Amino acid sequence: MTRALEAESHDTATAQTAPARTDEATDDGADQLFSYQELGRLDEALTMSSRETGLRFTLYIGDLGRQTRVTAEDLHARSGQNPTDAVLIAVSPGQRVVEVVTGAGAGRRLPDRACALAVLSMTGSFAAGDLIGGIINGLRQLSDQAGHPSALRHPHH
Amino acid sequence: MNVAETIIVFVGIPLGFVVLLALLIFLPGRKRPRYKPGQPWEHAPVWYEPHPEHGPAAGGHGTPGHEGQTKAIGSSVYGEPSHDAHGSQEHAHGAATAAPRAVSAGPLGGARGTW
Repeated sequence: MTRALEAESHDTATAQTAPARTDEATDDGADQLFSYQELGRLDEALTMSSRETGLRFTLYIGDLGRQTRVTAEDLHARSGQNPTDAVLIAVSPGQRVVEVVTGAGAGRRLPDRACALAVLSMTGSFAAGDLIGGIINGLRQLSDQAGHPSALRHPHH
Repeated sequence: MNVAETIIVFVGIPLGFVVLLALLIFLPGRKRPRYKPGQPWEHAPVWYEPHPEHGPAAGGHGTPGHEGQTKAIGSSVYGEPSHDAHGSQEHAHGAATAAPRAVSAGPLGGARGTW
């Protein structure tokens, strides 16, 4: 028996051509992870909490290795130009662990107790299967706790 | 109304309605794998970052460097090809850790939670 011809093209992308749409669709990217609506909410929460507080909130979702705290602190050290004022939320759904890492400057405005409270609310949502909702609520709690920096409080007076 | 009409109206229409609802519910292709606690996580690591602030009034800490910023708009994933001078030797494990160089941030704080 002869097999049916494969109808979908799988060409390789070169410098001049983009990959075929059929190959793009199978790419296991971030689009499949969350819907565009969820990504939009996530984007807005990250951006607004970073602007309001002057801290830099970043979110990592993925495996954290065996020593989750060490991996999260290593990621935090690489999270940008100025990790002193950075806050990293690292979620590892496979290991069921969430780590919040604050730099020295961010830690003055976000004490560990505030982080623990935000983590508690996040884990409550995660246990119910709501990753995005938990992350957004945690971001909201962290940014509320951090408040506005004194430089942004009186902008042009 | 004879027997055939009665059957069409009182059996056919409800049956069609039920089939329509079933099709809407179980239509393949619109299902997104939802996270359930305890499942293994088989997605690639992803790192979301906030939009960079626009305008020059971005606070007083140094110049807004461009070397570590990704070129995508909005939340983006680290691991894009960077054209820096030092961008080649940083290929640790996975794309997510190929971020800018590590900078010490002083005593770290934070919290951990499990669920």
